[in-house]
Amino acid sequence: MAQLPEFLRTEVYHPLTVHFPIVLLLIATAFKVIALFVKREVWQLGGRILLAAGVIAAWAAIYTGDLADGIVSRQICDPTVLYSHEQFAYTVAWLFTAAAFVEGLSLTVRKLGGKWVSISIVLLMLAGSGFLTYVGHLGAKLVYQQAAGVYVPSKDCSEFEN
Amino acid sequence: MNRNYVVMLLLMTSLFLAACGEKTAVVESGTYTGTVKKVEADKREIYVTLDDGKLLELYFTENTELVRDSVNVNFTTLQQGQRVQVTVEKVGKRLDPERVRIME
Repeated sequence: MAQLPEFLRTEVYHPLTVHFPIVLLLIATAFKVIALFVKREVWQLGGRILLAAGVIAAWAAIYTGDLADGIVSRQICDPTVLYSHEQFAYTVAWLFTAAAFVEGLSLTVRKLGGKWVSISIVLLMLAGSGFLTYVGHLGAKLVYQQAAGVYVPSKDCSEFEN
Repeated sequence: MNRNYVVMLLLMTSLFLAACGEKTAVVESGTYTGTVKKVEADKREIYVTLDDGKLLELYFTENTELVRDSVNVNFTTLQQGQRVQVTVEKVGKRLDPERVRIME
């Protein structure tokens, strides 16, 4: 009789963490775009907080993804998709980290404020969002086409009987 | 330096870094020679640059044989820059290393 594996396996930490940066960074980008046109502090401040939280979550997701990589790479049929997923994930993390860095600079270095800097930050975040969408697409391909990190139940579902 | 140039430089550098990254190749089952580009000991994984320039990403399995001078050796023997001969089996687009021979 098949045994149902533990739910909290190493490769499962990644899907548990990866959705936070997706939501935080995409909404942060939306906030910062709106802040370019609407002069209410809530958009600027909200975007800033979401960006900071999103960057931390992105690096956490990279870490858990790296843990999962060592396991699922030996199981899936096309690890090149996983490699691209990983490479573009780093791209996303660096783009948003750069945006957060420029944002931080603009707050601490007075001369570095202004519309032009805000546009630069938004451009970085829009580029990051584009890559983020693609990374998500590759992640979905890994799960739904190759069952990466997924336990496939036995045909008779016997492991669920107890 | 004009502050706009600083921001522009950061922006361009970020986009440049974003565009960087080397693709791994998929080859047919067989034996190939190359140089170890990177060793990830905790994952028992190596990157090998073949003599024709292709980059292979190889995850050792429990059946992978690692030899040096016809003697089985531990994974820790592998180091960046070593010349190796790898025998791989292509499964789908996954390359399972069957045998890795350290040539030096």
